[in-house]
Amino acid sequence: MKALVVLLALAAQLALAAEEPVRLDSAPIDPRDVASLQSGARIFVNYCLNCHSAGMMRYHKLLDLGLTEQQVKENLLFTTDKIGELMNVAMTRKDAKEWLGTAPPDLSVIARARGPDWLYTYMRSFYRDPESATGWNNMVFERVAMPHVLWTLSGQQVQEERKFKNMEQAEAVGRQQKSAWKIDVLTPDQAGKDGERFILKTIRTETAGSLSQIDYDIMVRDLVNFMTWMSEPNQITRKQVGYVVMLVLLVLLVLTYLLYKEFWKDVH
Amino acid sequence: MSNQSRVNRKRRSLVIASACAGGASALATAVPFAASMLPSERAVALGAPVEAEIGQLNPGEKMTVEWRGQPVWILHRTKEMLEEIERTDGKVADPKSERKKGELTPEYARNEYRSIKPEYLVVVGICSHLGCSPQDKFKPGPEAFESQWTGGFYCPCHGSLFDLAGRVYKNKPAPDNLKVPPYTYLSDTRILIGEDKKRA
Amino acid sequence: MAAAEKQAVTGAGPFNGLLTWIDQRFPLMQTWRSHLSEYYAPKNFNFWYYFGSLALFVLVIQIVTGIFLTMNYKPDAAQAFASVEYIMREVPWGWWIRYMHSTGASFFFICVYLHMFRAMLYGSYRNPRELLWIFGMLIFLCLMAEAFFGYLLPWGQMSYWGAQVIVNLFDAIPVIGPDLAIWIRGDFVVSDATLNRFFAYHVIAVPLALLALVVAHLLALHEVGSSNPDGVEIKNVKDPKTGRPLDGIPFHPYYTVKDTFGVVVFLVVFSMVVFFAPDAGGYFLEHNNFIPADPLKTPAHIAPVWYFTPYYSILRATTDEFVLWVLAPGVVAFALLLIWSMKKSATRIAVGVIAIVLLAGLLSLDAKVWGVVLMATSVMIFFFLPWLDRSPVRSIRYKGPITKTALSLFVIVFFVLGYLGTESVTEGRTLAAQVGTAVYFLFFFLMPWYSKMDKCLPEPERVTSK
Repeated sequence: MKALVVLLALAAQLALAAEEPVRLDSAPIDPRDVASLQSGARIFVNYCLNCHSAGMMRYHKLLDLGLTEQQVKENLLFTTDKIGELMNVAMTRKDAKEWLGTAPPDLSVIARARGPDWLYTYMRSFYRDPESATGWNNMVFERVAMPHVLWTLSGQQVQEERKFKNMEQAEAVGRQQKSAWKIDVLTPDQAGKDGERFILKTIRTETAGSLSQIDYDIMVRDLVNFMTWMSEPNQITRKQVGYVVMLVLLVLLVLTYLLYKEFWKDVH
Repeated sequence: MSNQSRVNRKRRSLVIASACAGGASALATAVPFAASMLPSERAVALGAPVEAEIGQLNPGEKMTVEWRGQPVWILHRTKEMLEEIERTDGKVADPKSERKKGELTPEYARNEYRSIKPEYLVVVGICSHLGCSPQDKFKPGPEAFESQWTGGFYCPCHGSLFDLAGRVYKNKPAPDNLKVPPYTYLSDTRILIGEDKKRA
Repeated sequence: MAAAEKQAVTGAGPFNGLLTWIDQRFPLMQTWRSHLSEYYAPKNFNFWYYFGSLALFVLVIQIVTGIFLTMNYKPDAAQAFASVEYIMREVPWGWWIRYMHSTGASFFFICVYLHMFRAMLYGSYRNPRELLWIFGMLIFLCLMAEAFFGYLLPWGQMSYWGAQVIVNLFDAIPVIGPDLAIWIRGDFVVSDATLNRFFAYHVIAVPLALLALVVAHLLALHEVGSSNPDGVEIKNVKDPKTGRPLDGIPFHPYYTVKDTFGVVVFLVVFSMVVFFAPDAGGYFLEHNNFIPADPLKTPAHIAPVWYFTPYYSILRATTDEFVLWVLAPGVVAFALLLIWSMKKSATRIAVGVIAIVLLAGLLSLDAKVWGVVLMATSVMIFFFLPWLDRSPVRSIRYKGPITKTALSLFVIVFFVLGYLGTESVTEGRTLAAQVGTAVYFLFFFLMPWYSKMDKCLPEPERVTSK
């Protein structure tokens, strides 16, 4: 009974400030764009692989992206010298937990869990937050433990709030944003006298980074493209085999249909 | 009646066509299943070529390197040992390594010493009989298993004998010489086992 | 000697000799005749009659792909997740085998649900096919168990928390519940021990039972003969000379060729999913299951795979208020209905006593218990269909408007509950699920009355074509 009361109280608190999920941007990825995948692989190895592993992915698999063994060895192998190794990370989970508070998740199949759109929006939604331990927060992932690794490239963003009287207005302004946005809804008591209950939260670049916003978006696109490919490296083969199988099945379909109709001529 | 036979002929050819197409498809489906039992990419990665440093190996000494989970022996042969090999020509079953040429002895090792450089023997230390690993018996002299032993390897499982070039003795359970793996010299003191062409 | 009395096999060309040799030592030709070439099936099977053979076909796919998966899968909490990805990436063609298995699981349920719906449409469970139906229901239960055990094996977040939630259902059982849940898990939480035993159930225990039941199901079918969309017995009208049913055709070759065509159509749809959309938008492979199991962190939104969601919705719909305002009055009303329609005073008293006990339970025990009970009942109730349906006719073709409406409502509600089960809970959705749950059970509990009072059309003598 006591637990129930606590639960109800918690639920009530949550209900007070209903939080709408962030509208995700659609990631313009293309698993057949080899140049983008190669660039994404480079970004991934340079920036992500320092803390995150991709422990189910073998460097050797990168050869599928049109890279030669020599290119992989020279440009992408930092933690090992063997191309047959898995993309592991030197940091142990225990150390990681001590240094970062939480062990960075393995990224081999993260794109299948989160979806490319989420990753694409997430990597473009960090903002400065003095209250967080790392100094960073994220629109998509509230109080994320990961700092904004790419901030020298993207510049520094801050969160902005604008109040609106109704949802439609807030959404209309939100839709014009180039970056992630969400709308928090207050209860009438919280809103105060003016009745502005709908808070549009957006981020704005305060200091520019070394890349323009367009170039940064392209960089994130390449990274997400690579991570999506990495989450299922056989996806291209899978579809190619699929076309062949469908063709064979169509032949079988015609044959078995004729066979069926031929025999069923007997049945009156 | 002729109508009947026409129907039957059509039926018959349809049955045959469907059976063939279905059978071929079923067979094609079985291929991936069978292929899934081949070594995986992990197995291939673990079986990747290994490098060995042989500069430290003194004449008469042997070192073992693991390649694809198997022992690969590198024996630095002395002058006397090489002479012994010439003397065993008559005792061994396949002195010129002519059996299963491509599989057991790469072309560059198809000589009396079964090696690229006569001093260094590189062989997989697995008996060609039933897969035991033979023991070193380098010292010439009378042995229980051979009164005029000139040095080589002795397999403890079923008594097969190999000379110092890994050639099998006649009239022993083992049918073939010890396998020479593909290998190549990266430099005078480094060899790469598992691959013989220079890597791209 | 019995062997000598048998006739030599003919018609198999060069194999005649071999087949004769076998036939004299094994009932080869007899089996062939009684189950294929001289098993007479009604000639008017329609679209719905494909799904039995298709379910059998999926079973074969699951067994074959399953065998190859076990060659590389590791039933170990530390390695399971990675070993599945190992199959997907590093084993030659492993991705194809795994996708066939994961897609096959969903298609198994699609086929079985459609197969069951066929039986409900045409009254295939009616006398004398009750046991056939019961075997079928047991297969369905095995299938649910098989799917549940198998779903833990990838050891992702959904695997883990799904197993956690379902095992905790047993926790709701009064007195023995908590100990029972621990016994099932072999640990205080879902763990390596649980994974290991679920693996054993999934790869050997349940499949053995499943296979035995499939054999029993087929034997029972061939004993009583197949029903058909008209729901009339083809055995009633026989050719006086040959003794064969006039409306029957030999299963082989007529239904073997027809079902072969069905299998190819099935393969087209199946392959489209396997090769082009193996996740099926998160319905066949859930997104969160690509995150390794983490006993310390429940995902924000957990839902079972789609085939369990209707029952899951019923579980979630059972709140305290639902028990108080719907379930309790429902029990009272149903008891009164039963007492009103019963003749003997002894049974009336028995019904009254049971109702009072139930009512006492409803008002004293947690809603959690009743959620589990309702969920279990929602599946088990299907067992009783042969006795709940008291219509004078079998097939929906000749049933009256009430039954048609009831069945349509049931189908709609089944889909709505299924959809709600995949979504997170809101007040509105819970209310919808509660209405759905009520309709779901009314469909079954009122069936003895509405099926009897419905205005049915007369059944034909012989099957109709179309």
